[in-house]
Amino acid sequence: MTSTSTNTGDTNTGDAGVEARRARLRTDVTLAAKVVPTHYPLETFIAVNPLAGLEGLPFEQAIRRAGDLYGMPGTLGEPAFRELYRQGRITDADLDRALTRRFPNLGADALELLRADMLHGEPAPAAKRRYHTVSENADPKVAGIVDAQTSKWCAAFFGAGAWPMPERDRGFYRAWRSLAPSDRSLPRRARTALRALPERADDAVLNALDMLGVGDGSRITHLQAHLTAMPGWAAHVAWCSGRGTPIDMLDYLAMRLSYEAVLMSGRRTAGAASAEDSGPVLASARRRAEHLLAVGGEPVAEDRVAAVSRVLAALPATSREVLWQNAFEAHYRDDVLAGLQVSDAGPADGVHTQVVTCIDTRSEGLRRHLEAVGGYETLGFAGFFAVAIRFTDLLGGAPSDLCPVLISPNHDVTEVPAWNAAAAARRVAGITGLAGAESAFHAAKESLAAPFTLAEAAGWAAAPLAAAKTLAPALSTAIRRRLRDAVAPAAPTVIDTEAMGHDEQVLFAQVALTTMGLTRGFGRIVVMCAHGSTTENNPYQASLDCGACGGQAGAPNARTAVAILNRAAVRAGLLEAGIDIPAETWFVAAQHDTAVDRVTLLDRHLIPATHTGDLDRLDRDLARAGATLAAERCEVLPGAPSGAQPARAARHVSTRSCDWAQVYPEWGLAGNAAFIVAPRSASRRMDLGRRAFLHSYEADVDIDGSALETILTAPLVVAQWINTQYYFSTVAPQVFGAGTKTIHNVVGTAGVIAGHNGDLQLGLPWQSVSDGTDLVHEPQRLMAVVQAPLERIDMIIDRNPILQQLFGNDWIAVAARENPDQPWQRWTRAGWRPWFDTDATTDVNPINTEEMVP
Amino acid sequence: MTAPVLTKMTKIEVVVPGSDAPAVRELIQSVGATGYTSLSGVSGLGHHGYRQGRLLFNQQAALELIITVVPEEKVDALLAGLRPLLDSSSGVMFVTETFVSRPDYFS
Repeated sequence: MTSTSTNTGDTNTGDAGVEARRARLRTDVTLAAKVVPTHYPLETFIAVNPLAGLEGLPFEQAIRRAGDLYGMPGTLGEPAFRELYRQGRITDADLDRALTRRFPNLGADALELLRADMLHGEPAPAAKRRYHTVSENADPKVAGIVDAQTSKWCAAFFGAGAWPMPERDRGFYRAWRSLAPSDRSLPRRARTALRALPERADDAVLNALDMLGVGDGSRITHLQAHLTAMPGWAAHVAWCSGRGTPIDMLDYLAMRLSYEAVLMSGRRTAGAASAEDSGPVLASARRRAEHLLAVGGEPVAEDRVAAVSRVLAALPATSREVLWQNAFEAHYRDDVLAGLQVSDAGPADGVHTQVVTCIDTRSEGLRRHLEAVGGYETLGFAGFFAVAIRFTDLLGGAPSDLCPVLISPNHDVTEVPAWNAAAAARRVAGITGLAGAESAFHAAKESLAAPFTLAEAAGWAAAPLAAAKTLAPALSTAIRRRLRDAVAPAAPTVIDTEAMGHDEQVLFAQVALTTMGLTRGFGRIVVMCAHGSTTENNPYQASLDCGACGGQAGAPNARTAVAILNRAAVRAGLLEAGIDIPAETWFVAAQHDTAVDRVTLLDRHLIPATHTGDLDRLDRDLARAGATLAAERCEVLPGAPSGAQPARAARHVSTRSCDWAQVYPEWGLAGNAAFIVAPRSASRRMDLGRRAFLHSYEADVDIDGSALETILTAPLVVAQWINTQYYFSTVAPQVFGAGTKTIHNVVGTAGVIAGHNGDLQLGLPWQSVSDGTDLVHEPQRLMAVVQAPLERIDMIIDRNPILQQLFGNDWIAVAARENPDQPWQRWTRAGWRPWFDTDATTDVNPINTEEMVP
Repeated sequence: MTAPVLTKMTKIEVVVPGSDAPAVRELIQSVGATGYTSLSGVSGLGHHGYRQGRLLFNQQAALELIITVVPEEKVDALLAGLRPLLDSSSGVMFVTETFVSRPDYFS
């Protein structure tokens, strides 16, 4: 292949022009890759906004841009919205408010016409991918080969097969470069050209771009066309960069572009590089007017058509879906805020126990049912409980980072035997032995010859076990649990927090308690309740665990927090800071299994006998609350008994969680749509339907606003990632959803593919957002509801660009009030406006004010 | 007393949002710079108003200051990569002459 750059070279000796070209290319790749999401590996599956790179744009523009890049819809389609309208989920009033917010000077006749167009207009054409690679434009067959090769080599690199990709440790590009020329599925000419590729990936990209005739001006667009052609693999490469996995975006693009260049070599590609699809053809305003008049049964008179088309011209058909979205969201948001307006319950009475749960939407259900028992005050806090730890369990394997991905863990924490080292050693030996046996079994299954021997040796046991797991999952799981307990009996352990200095522990305790607003009125028991989810045969298990703990169960964080808060020296330090925890108050760690709604109290051996009665009552009440919550959830779980008594519902979800054929083990965070930052008293009387993240906050104990700033810049940001992941997995499942679970094949730890090849699947499986017939997740952007002084919120927004972006570009709506007796206010770039003000001219967002109906 | 011999180099300081910092660090390394100094959670006042410094639980949203020192022959390459990166974000860059006592550390 023709080389226009150096084929070899050392960065220290190459000429300055070449180095500058390489550096510029690296930056262009960085900029091009901003439109690609980050795909975390399955074991720490973190929700992300797939359009995070477009958050600098207003939401409406961002989804249009994404439509051009990916050919994806940015909202539900109009038929779906119209069905919601028929169901009463969106009303005429919602539509009128959405329209008048967009067009402040709308007259009554124009409003009626636009509403009629929303309801009856011909649906807008689907978004089309507008930016294509050279081969997509000139020879789609070549583009197909490039995609197929990408899938093949990425699967080889990321897969954890018995035969690893040769030379993998030298890096993806080098390994591929040495293997690709031997690929007999390619023409001889192409193989010869691949043999002459440069040693460096950046030089290969530069050469390929020159061969394809892609100039500097269209380079980023062309690179984006390659990255968006198979966004799944690109998104996982984006995650790998800088994390020690020997692949980066330059390596990935070098492979794709080199294939394209050698396969297109000798073809006419002039103009193909810059060709841009013109996008979908829209119906003219006149045609829409004629359609509307015909639907309404009006005579299609020329002057009437002209008048109607003048009005419709102000609202392109492609903008209607966003207005539907706004109306859909407004309906839910108005209901929540109206409910909160009258629901303030004041402080809870007769509290003997406080339970602090994660802000996760599933905790809302547990809290509601536990409060109904009486005597409990519940609080919400990010589920890592403010301890960002790198945790090593008793087995001593690879440590886990248990904290939000926004930060790095700052403490190494280990689990050690409580007092009986021999018991701990027996447990370690037992678990290690079981894990070794399981590993050997799977390795034998995947090797070349061993499966035959394995079938002879273990088939007699494996087949009945598989049948038992299918026909009697609960029984099978109970037997396996007993076997495990016999081989590896439980051993009491403690969390060693010595790595954290005393002052740090006091500071942690102060920050955690102040941020959640728990600085007085402590009960005899304060529970730190983490969460995790127990499911079988579920590659997406991490998506059901705690997002604040890096997609893992948060029990170690709760145990660490409790260990610190129970230290007498820490309490003495807190007293100096004005937080007086009574001697009889004992902090207790727990974990909520969200698949079965069972809460397990942890480290009971560390709790004094004086509190045994309190713990027994807590255990009973948690079981009761969990069972009633299970009954509530059974109403929406496919195949679950409807109207079941709590005990039966609890048995059902327990069986369901260990059924390896169950594709709907639980609904996770489906439905999430609100994030409430307020004392629990503001929402305690409301059933929020497991749709709201609840973060406790007491403005009175946060005078400088630092706690609120922490909440808005961290938990709210993570909640928005979760919200947008669910949103786009629902509205654009073809691009940002993982498809159906039933045909998933796992590729190493990277992710899943649908079937045996193709792109890595992004986002959530279809069974996480739909029951197969209807959507279970209603795709709505997050509404942040904050009870705090408005000027404090303004101060925090003013100094944090991330909030200006998320709020100002309509990725998150903000409603706030200082006190329960004040009306809700809406944050806008132009200042606070009454939420329920019907005078649209006062609350319109400036970015929309230019649109006026003639 | 003999004055120490100093060698002229170029110091490049970049302030970018934490989310863009990895790209800057990669670029610095890709042109053969031997190192950099990174300071996370910096605050300041600029075109876009006051920027908050260290956030308790978000290291990506805060600004980061990255400083590197390179010999003359590497400056153009580094600037060729940094300019378009900064054009697309809210970052700033300062390029100044500097003098070092141990040039072998930077070449």
